[in-house]
Parts: sequence; C-alpha cells; structure tokens
Amino acid sequence: MRMARSTPARAVTIVMIVALVAMTVGCSKKSDPEPASGPMQPAQASIYTVNYPLSYFAERLAPADARVVFPVAPGIDPAFWKPSAEAVQEYQAASLILLNGAGYARWTSYATLPQAHIVVTADGCRDTYLRTEQSVRHQHGPEGAHAHSDLAFTTWLDLRLAACQASHIRDAVVERMPAAKDSISAEFETLERDLLDLDERLRNLGKALGNQPLLASHPVYQYLADAYGISIQSLHLEPDRELSDDDWKEVDAMLEQDRANWMLWEAPPLAATEARLRERGVTTVVFDPAGQSPSEGDFLSVMRANVARLECATGVKPCR
Amino acid sequence: MRDSIYLAWRYLRHHRTKTLLLVLSLSVFLGLPLIMRAMSRATQQSLLSRAEATPLLLGKKGSSLDLVVEALYFQLKGAEPITKADVDALQATGLALGIPIRTGLMARGFPLVGTSLDYFPFRELRMADGRGLAMMGECVLGAEAARALGVGPGDALLTSPSTLFDLAGVYPLKLHVVGVLEPSYGPDDEAVFVDLRTAWVAEGMGHGHQDLARAGPDVVLKRKEGAVTANAKLVQYNEITDSNVDSFHFHGDPSSYPVSAAIVVPHDEKSGVLLRGRFVDAETRQLVRPAQVVDSLNKQIFRFERVLEIVVWTVGLATAVMFVLVMVLSWRLRAEELRTMTRLGCSRWKAAQIMGSEIVLMVGASVLIAGVFGIVMAQYGETWLQTLILRGS
Repeated sequence: MRMARSTPARAVTIVMIVALVAMTVGCSKKSDPEPASGPMQPAQASIYTVNYPLSYFAERLAPADARVVFPVAPGIDPAFWKPSAEAVQEYQAASLILLNGAGYARWTSYATLPQAHIVVTADGCRDTYLRTEQSVRHQHGPEGAHAHSDLAFTTWLDLRLAACQASHIRDAVVERMPAAKDSISAEFETLERDLLDLDERLRNLGKALGNQPLLASHPVYQYLADAYGISIQSLHLEPDRELSDDDWKEVDAMLEQDRANWMLWEAPPLAATEARLRERGVTTVVFDPAGQSPSEGDFLSVMRANVARLECATGVKPCR
Repeated sequence: MRDSIYLAWRYLRHHRTKTLLLVLSLSVFLGLPLIMRAMSRATQQSLLSRAEATPLLLGKKGSSLDLVVEALYFQLKGAEPITKADVDALQATGLALGIPIRTGLMARGFPLVGTSLDYFPFRELRMADGRGLAMMGECVLGAEAARALGVGPGDALLTSPSTLFDLAGVYPLKLHVVGVLEPSYGPDDEAVFVDLRTAWVAEGMGHGHQDLARAGPDVVLKRKEGAVTANAKLVQYNEITDSNVDSFHFHGDPSSYPVSAAIVVPHDEKSGVLLRGRFVDAETRQLVRPAQVVDSLNKQIFRFERVLEIVVWTVGLATAVMFVLVMVLSWRLRAEELRTMTRLGCSRWKAAQIMGSEIVLMVGASVLIAGVFGIVMAQYGETWLQTLILRGS
C-alpha cells in the first residue's frame, strides 16, 4: 500500500515540476510593435519661389527637367500674398524654396517651412537692408520700443544685388543638381551679363540725373534710388484709382518741396491722373518692379523697357 | 483520460477555497518575475531604440542624462537651453541637419514640443488624420494625446499657463489642432507638436496685438517722432488666426531665443566624427550620443533589476515549495480516498492520472491568470515604468 500511495504522488510531483519548467521556458518577451515607416512629406524635385524675379532667375539657371513654381496668381502682389495651408504644404514638399529676404513675403515668417530647403537669396548680398520711411515705432510693456516690417524689400531693382541673388540661386541649384554644374554656370554667366548691362545703363542714368529728384507713386524704389544715386520721394498712390483731393494736396506739397519733373509708376496711371500731373509739369514714367509675372515678355524685357522709358523721359538717350 | 479530468475537476470544485488559494499563489509566482523581467527588458529596449535612432544631441553643457531625457522623452528636467543661433551654426557647417526641440510648456497635461518640419520624417511619423503643420498657431497631436483629450483636426487646445497665479505672466495660447499622428508607441504619442515659433509665442517671447498706428487715444499713452507708447489696454491676441497672424512678431533677434536641444543628424559617418571633434573642448555646449547615455542608464536599471529579481525569485521559490508541500500533505490526507478508489478497481496509474489532472488544471488556471495580468501590464506597464524611470533619473 505504501507503494500504491507513493507512486502516484511521485508521478504527480514530476508532472508538476515539468509543468513549472515548461511555464518558465514558454513565457516569451513582448514583441516590439511594428514601427511607423515612410516619410511624412516626400520631397519632390521642384523649386518654389516667392516672387517672379526669383522664378525667372531659377528658370534660366536650372536644368530643363527641374520644375520651377511661382504659385501666386496673376493680379496678386506676391509681397502681401497670404497662402492657404494647402499652398504652404506645396512649398513644404519642394526640394528648394527660394525666398527673397529683407522681409519680403511676410507669410514666410509665420508659415512652417523646412529650414533645410530654404535659401534666402538676398542674404549676404549687402551689409544691411534699406529701411522704409513709413514704419511706426511703438512701445507696450517693458521690452522697449520696436517697429514691424520696416525693411524695403524690392531688392532686385538694384541689378547688382539681383545678380548676387541669382548667384545664390546658382549655388543652391548646383548643390542639388551637381551633374548639371557646367550648364548652370554657363547660364549664370549669361544672366549676370544681362543684368550687369542694365546696371551699367542705370548707373549712367543716375549720373546724368545728378540731384534732380523723382517722385514715385509707391515706396518700392528704395534699392533703385540707393544703387544708382537717384533721389526718389515716395507717395502711396494706386495707378488704377482716381486720386483724391488729399492725394493731390500731398503731390503738390511734395512738388513744392522738391521740384520733380518725373514720377515713377508701377503701372500706367489713369489718363486723368496723367493729364493733371502733366499740368503740373510732371511726366509719368512706368517703371514696373516686375514682382509679379508680366503679361508679356519676361523679367529682362520688362526691365529693359523700364530703363529705356526712363532714359527716354529724362533725355539721357533718345526715345525709340 | 476525460473521466480522470472530470473527477479532478469535481474534486477541485468541491474544495473551492483551497483550490483558489493555490491557483492565486501560483499565478503570482509565475507571473510576477516574468512580467517584471519582460517589462523591464521592454522598457530598456524602448529607451535604447529611441536613443539609438537619434545620432547626436546638442545641448548646454551639464547633465547629459537630463538633456537626453528632456529632448528625447519630453520629460521636463530643467536642462539649460541653447539658442536658435547654435542650431543655425550647426546647420551652416554643412555636416549635419539640426532639428531644434523646445520643451517646457504643457497643453492640458501633455508636453508641448516646438520643433521644425524635419522632425516628422526623421522620426518616421505619419499623419493618421488631418494634415501637418503649415502656419503658426497650429498643432499636431500624438495618437495618445488626441485619444486622451478627445480632440482631433478642427478642434482647439489651450496651452497651460506657466505660472497659475502670475496675472502679469503669459496667458494660454489657443492652438488649432490640424492633425493627429499615427501611433508610434513612444513619447511622440503623448506630445503636442507645434512650430518652434509657436512655442516661443506660447512662452511669451512673441506676441500679436492691435495695430498701434490706428489705435485710439484710450490705448496710446504717447506718440512722439514715429514712436508710439501703449498702455495696458492694448488688446493682445491669445489665438493666432488668418486675420491677426500678420500682427504677430518677436522682440529682439529670434536667433537668440531658447532651444532646449537640437537633434543632430550628420550627413555621413565622417561628418559625425568631425562634429564630435569640434565639441570635445567646447566650454558651454555638449554634443552627446544619446545611445551611450541611455546605455549607462540601462546598466543602472539592470543592477537594480538584479536585486529585485533575487527577491522575487526567493519569494517565488518559497511559494513553489509551499505548493508542493500542500499537494503532498493533501495526498497524505487523501490516502483513504485513494485506497477506496483502488478497492473499487481503479488502477494506480488511473489514480495518478486523476491527481495529475488536478495539478494540470490548477497550473493551467494560474497560467491563464498570469497571462491576462501579463498582457495588461505589457499594454500599460511599459509606459508606466518608462515614466517612472525617466522621472526618477
């Protein structure tokens, strides 16, 4: 009977130990979860720009298979354009984003853009940017006085600066497409020559004008004035709007202060405006800054036409 | 065999209390050490895998562990910040991509992380719902944060005030939720991601207010030579919208603004070595390898775990011995019962089968309980243990 009691007990004890060992061995570590994979924003071989001059430079320099995109619709000033979130996402997906610098396109200061893809083309081209005359300094709290958006941003109207911006675009494109370095460099040399030819003509024009002042319908010609030694006094007038009595008072006050014979306009003013200016001895000259795509021609042809009109109006060169 | 199992089952049911006590003690014996070990290993692995996925980390000289914990796991340790200029300078070397990380604020209990767009592809984070960050004032939520807060694209989220009773301090910023990330089973799941500039605005370094050039006399204290001084009535915005985003600005140079750390992704191995060489003798900055830092943390955890394991296994062994003792005593008490079974014609082998079945049923039930407990702990325990380790580190 002792055998009868002990045998099942021993067998059960062995089974129990085997079971415990099996349990211990059988337990396995928690498997790692499958990680998320794949990029969030796949980059495309495309160059996005914030204004037409940069778009023109990039199109001339980049290889033909590169996509240059300037998404601002015609009729909208790219400097004050507010993109939708979808438009910002298109910029985010670009392989290269060309910014102008000098606070141009304020939206770029509050949009989320990939820093690694951004090239600020005008940075490093001059020691300091020019300031606008209209900025209001203000103070609220202990931080001290400050002003917003007080930089002049139409940098490309200084054509040497424009050439410098183009050189930064060249470097960025070469960095991303090193195989096309030779063709990009050759294209840059041609572009630089085109820009510097115009720069030379404007320098001669500036010398010929001397101290003779010009009026400007809008404060966008700071770099033109600074680079070529032209005295330009700016107003805030729209070419497609009739001038109010207050506007005319302002024009008269400026003419009284500085006897200007010419007034620069971004686009042809209304016939009535042109006539009333002529009555005051002021000739209107269209000098399109070409921030937006022109309806005809390209950046260079627009600039050539600008310079030719100014040369003609001021008598520096005969009119064609 | 089925009849043996039936008889065993009837016996266990009849002696419910004894069975329950044995099953529970066996469950603890089986479950505790294994769960502790699995959780600890999983936590260490999870910490290490995130650290290994982060090549280098740039921060202010000081505790490298605090830096890693703050930048990788978003647990606030008070690491001294560097500046945005440091990240820009790193980027300018052309040797690596610098991804800024700004921590410090919370949004309804979840860490607010200011970073750049490069962070998301770097961590392989994908959108589950909505879209990525596009404008200042927007945020993207980790999967767990979105689930816990019950918010999604189109909803709003307030940042938590940094000082509750400081009336002159920074007011909460209303963030627009534009997207929710897919689960990544890491700290990113519990984070609220914003653009670096949005983080600075939330901290009060940038702000937006009504146009002072058009402000009335009740707001303006004085106007002098193009300078305007406003009083406290000036309306400052606590939400960045399409209509007021233009008014948001920073005082001073944003490149001097704080960044908690920067994730440094060298373009190649050589670039990484060159960068590390540049920071060897740096007086105020440090470039650390997170994997090394976490590895040393893991070694400390491992030492503690060894001590804990000895304790748990000792208790477990005592439980096992007690189980065996209970079973052996039980069989001695059941000697008469076994004799009756033999007299009824039951073979010794059949009697052993019945008693074996009793043990198998009890062990099976214990394994089931330990398994359920293990699954629950594996689900929630890793995060809990990770948080405990990082907060205590």
